[in-house]
Amino acid sequence: MEAAAEKSRKRRDRKRALVAYSFIAPNFIGFAVFTLIPIICAFALGFLKWDGNNPIEFVGLANFAKLADDTFFWAALKNTLIYCLGTVPLTMVASLALAIVLNQKVKFRGFFRTVSFFPYVASLVAITAVWQMIFHPSKGPVNAILYYVFHVQNLPNWFGGKLILLTLILFSVWKFMGYYMVIYLAGLQGISAELYEAAGLDGATTWQKFRYVTWPQLRSTTFFVVVMLTISCFKVYDVAVMLAGGGDGKLGTSSTVLVYYIYQKAFQEWDLGYSSAIAMVLFVLVLIVTIIQFRGEAKYEKD
Amino acid sequence: MKKKVLSALLAATMVVGSMGSMAVLASESGDEEVTLNWALWDEKTATYWSAVADAYMAENPNVTIEMTDLGSSDYMTVLATDLSGDGSDFDIVTIKDVPGYATLVSKGVLENLNDRIEADGIDLSVYNGTTEQVTADGNLYELPFRSDFWVLYYNKRIFDEAGVDYPTNDMTMEEYDELARSVTKQGFGNDQIYGAHYHTWRSAVQLFGILDGEHTVLDGNYDFTKPYYEMVINQANDGVCRSYVDTNASQLHYSGAFSEGNTATMNMGSWYITTLISELASGNYDADLVGDWGIVKYPHPEGVEAGTTLGTITALAIPTSSENKDAAWDFIKFACGEEGAKVVASTGTFPAIMNDDVIAEISSLEGFPQDDASKEALRTAQLCLEAPYDTHITEINTVLDTYHKDIMNGDISIDDGIAKMNEEVGKILGE
Repeated sequence: MEAAAEKSRKRRDRKRALVAYSFIAPNFIGFAVFTLIPIICAFALGFLKWDGNNPIEFVGLANFAKLADDTFFWAALKNTLIYCLGTVPLTMVASLALAIVLNQKVKFRGFFRTVSFFPYVASLVAITAVWQMIFHPSKGPVNAILYYVFHVQNLPNWFGGKLILLTLILFSVWKFMGYYMVIYLAGLQGISAELYEAAGLDGATTWQKFRYVTWPQLRSTTFFVVVMLTISCFKVYDVAVMLAGGGDGKLGTSSTVLVYYIYQKAFQEWDLGYSSAIAMVLFVLVLIVTIIQFRGEAKYEKD
Repeated sequence: MKKKVLSALLAATMVVGSMGSMAVLASESGDEEVTLNWALWDEKTATYWSAVADAYMAENPNVTIEMTDLGSSDYMTVLATDLSGDGSDFDIVTIKDVPGYATLVSKGVLENLNDRIEADGIDLSVYNGTTEQVTADGNLYELPFRSDFWVLYYNKRIFDEAGVDYPTNDMTMEEYDELARSVTKQGFGNDQIYGAHYHTWRSAVQLFGILDGEHTVLDGNYDFTKPYYEMVINQANDGVCRSYVDTNASQLHYSGAFSEGNTATMNMGSWYITTLISELASGNYDADLVGDWGIVKYPHPEGVEAGTTLGTITALAIPTSSENKDAAWDFIKFACGEEGAKVVASTGTFPAIMNDDVIAEISSLEGFPQDDASKEALRTAQLCLEAPYDTHITEINTVLDTYHKDIMNGDISIDDGIAKMNEEVGKILGE
């Protein structure tokens, strides 16, 4: 009797589990085929030499050793890191500031929210074209103002040299802040009004309210925003190619980024092993940064 | 965007795949029906593909030629992806450039044509020496189908208004520089006349250097390109041509630059002739601005024969995975031979075989400039391929393109840029 009940319970559990798996399956199969297996293959490829047709050769760590002496890899790495260091904090600050302002009861709040979200939904190709017009070295309004109002003689080239990274960062902040603003807005609205009320009764200033109520309450939101931003910044490709690539989509050493270099090595030179090795470096970089962020968050939680 | 191309490719492969299996069924039924699948680009806008296919099918009714358009901008990448792995459904593939050819050769996916060329007694001398420049370790894997060469386009109206003599078919680089400067007019907005225009491609600037026949992009030392970088950058500084920075930021296409009507001369490939003719005929270009145009032979370094110019070839090849190699070879012989050349020329495009008939055909096109110099400009003396075959050509080109961009953008000086080219290409060649 006992055994039979046990058996039917087990069967029920198994059935439940199967139902659950069947719901997970469609997504997981897609993930496995298009993401998981390719990632595992990329790991393996990092130690191989393969062009997609000829027999695969095992080369051990040769691909990674080659990285040390690769000018273009270091240029791409440097540019990607500078881009991340600029974009992540600036976007975070800008989106938080926007969210706080647009969380107040200002007139036309909905309109301004839409305006700041617009760059995020607009097509990248279209808005990069607009940026190219605005920052055009000889015909753009930005340089026209520099020339006529500030009498700058050597007009800057916003799409080359050292400035291109600044242009990329500014563009990305502008494009992405609307999206993270929405996330911050949701976070802000989750903060209980009682906390502000209590702080007000204790005589807290606006800054103190922000420092001791808003900021700690938004910690998990900020954590999410920073992690997502970091990952998306390391993956930068389209923005760089569209803004710096010119007509033929080629990047010089001042604007090249890791993902562009990976693509170039893989699909133009067909050095799949080497490009996988670079991809692994990128992967490890993102992993390390994310782990540090998780650690920081966990430590903060304990305190 | 790459993703889109890839997914479009996947879809195309599936469609083509099902067609391929139907073709196999048809050929098994016994009446030797063959369907050949031809990989190409711009099927709708470039008329020569279907003209050649139709001409061949008219002579060989049992053969059906199907064309698969892989798109122009990423053509070689898409093709190389398709030919990766076990196989594809193409019987004939068009090879757009030499770096792409080198990639496919090293991947081992192209059929060696040596035996077929020898067995059929194909005379390679008609290809103007280009086949030698793409021979890989004694083996030839493609046959030139189309060939283009660089000429100097000029706008006669601007020269007339400036009272300057037209360019000639025999100009040294110094004479060309002087001419461009003499026709330039500084002004604001539309009043500015540029004596020259250089597209953002490296070939439009750096490759003046290979015209002497002593240097190629495989050299490993690029000091010989310095005078040409200096010439173009000085011209830009003096307002003789648009600066690279401007052209790049505006993503200005060379056709836009020339048709604006404020560009006196422009060095560009012969492929632009048909575009000019058809855009003028359709009214897309303003005939008042640019309707009176002409071409002359490419300017050349001192001591080099006039008519020496840069060239590119578009070739046909057979993938090793094809199941109809003999039929594909028969088509390639036709398309790349005299008959095919005539058909290609009749559409206003330059075939790989250039002879008097072809020149007569093209210069008699409606809209082709009627002066004798323009007709004479079609005769080339020596064709230096923009990139000859080498296993490392793709990597070398990437390095050169990168520093070309840095130099032209003003990110580094000409000397530093060339030193970096020498250093980085040296690493590749030293491997």
